[in-house]
Amino acid sequence: MEILNGFVEAIQGIFQSSGLVSLNWQNYVMIGVSIILLYLAIKKQYEPLLLLPIAFGMLLVNLYPEIMAAPSTELLTAQQCAEHGVATAGHAVRIIDGIEYYENPTYGGLLYYLYQGVKLGIYPPLIFLGIGCMTDFGPLIANPKSLILGAAAQIGIFVTFTGAITLGFTPAESGAIGIIGGADGPTAIYVTTKLAPHLLGSIAIAAYSYMALVPIIQPPIMKALTTKKERAVVMEQLRPVSKLEKIMFPVIVVILIAILLPDAAPLVGMLMLGNLFKESGVVERISKTAQNELMNIITIFLGTTVGATASGQNFLRLETIEIIALGLVAFAMGTAFGVLFGKLMYKLTGGKVNPLIGSAGVSAVPMAARVSQRVGQQENPGNFLLMHAMGPNVAGVIGSAVAAGVLLNVVG
Amino acid sequence: MSNFSLATFFPLAELTMAQRGVEALKVILTGFAVVFAVLFFLILIIKIYSNIVVKLQDVAYNKKKKKIKDDEVLIKKPSKPVSSPEPVTQDGIPEEVVAVISAAVASMYDSPQRARIKSIKRSASGRSAWANAGVADNTRPF
Repeated sequence: MEILNGFVEAIQGIFQSSGLVSLNWQNYVMIGVSIILLYLAIKKQYEPLLLLPIAFGMLLVNLYPEIMAAPSTELLTAQQCAEHGVATAGHAVRIIDGIEYYENPTYGGLLYYLYQGVKLGIYPPLIFLGIGCMTDFGPLIANPKSLILGAAAQIGIFVTFTGAITLGFTPAESGAIGIIGGADGPTAIYVTTKLAPHLLGSIAIAAYSYMALVPIIQPPIMKALTTKKERAVVMEQLRPVSKLEKIMFPVIVVILIAILLPDAAPLVGMLMLGNLFKESGVVERISKTAQNELMNIITIFLGTTVGATASGQNFLRLETIEIIALGLVAFAMGTAFGVLFGKLMYKLTGGKVNPLIGSAGVSAVPMAARVSQRVGQQENPGNFLLMHAMGPNVAGVIGSAVAAGVLLNVVG
Repeated sequence: MSNFSLATFFPLAELTMAQRGVEALKVILTGFAVVFAVLFFLILIIKIYSNIVVKLQDVAYNKKKKKIKDDEVLIKKPSKPVSSPEPVTQDGIPEEVVAVISAAVASMYDSPQRARIKSIKRSASGRSAWANAGVADNTRPF
């Protein structure tokens, strides 16, 4: 009989601690959402490198919320310690109401520890290091005016800031929401962890979703704002850029931006360090590691833990819908302002600049540049805008880091 | 500068719609001004240093071109036929290989007159040239 009672108690204990009892409806909804995101990542291949770990992190945290639990200290009496087999030696003692309690530390969940890299702002700059190793700033150096387009596309960030603050978000939250318009995942995560960490899950998911949807969101805006004649403009070939110019570029940019806008230094600094690895040609092994192994490891940690911030209780709120809607506005505005400035350059240069390259100023490297190329070829199949669009595209990475620095400084 | 915080000065609950509008305008203006100013400054800097580098490289290129021309004049000068002996080559090394090695050596020097190949022998190393290159590549930094 005793054995049977023990068996029933054990089964009851397991049942009580199982998800069947501890999970609520929000968790189940989020499990459904994460499975949809997994489908989109695997079947539709929407930014799978990030969406897949994000979706799985979301799935894990909603199945087992303790995986993101912070470490804590529980107070146990000497008797409880003995019952649970907890060693008392070395543990601090606290006396409450005359009773001695031993402070027994409990450990946090796996993803809690991995999340510290996001929380402390370590992963996004490391991702930028890898991006720097893979980025060719040649088109930008050959045509520095394309930096204007990279700046213009950041206007969406600040316009969306207005929308967010009007809807009732705090200035810091509005800054974090606006940065979605930069179309730069690591920058969005970096700014959000500093300004509004409680919104990280929704902002990161909105940012990466829109980046995946660049080929769908941008073309209608680009076509609506340009004429057929403008879209068909064939641009002059870019001049070749020497190795010395490419080596000097990251050093000059980091000196300039870190002095003028120190808040942007971690992102721009790591981006330029990565680029110097690549362009110097003397540290090929480090460059390869930064753009492959290191970046892949960080992507796994970043994606999974960002996904794990989207627990049902955090995510299923009205403000998530508002953030997703505002993110779309930010993205569309960034594209529109980039194209409008492209039109301005078209007028000022007497028709030498194709305004379609302006939309690439929203970062999202190299997807946005590819979209400029594709829309341009629809009007003129012999037109190759890709290299011209890469200028504003990489300028957008610098521009969004600068915009992030401004937001951190003003509303941080 | 970094101590300036709108959130600190205006807790959200106390912000009226008009105040929010004012704050939004402030951020928009600051954002526009700073982002454009920094990137315009960057354009200026890139243009300046690119011009300097391109000019320096043009000067260096012209110098090199002039030197090559001088060398060509030297070669064209009627002189005694070059009496350099043919390199002693090991049996079985084809003439094409000799030509390729000579071209590689010549390309390392500014003037073809400065290098002379005396003999070409097969390497006695147990490793192939590719294996040697692999070992060198993996051990160079240590």
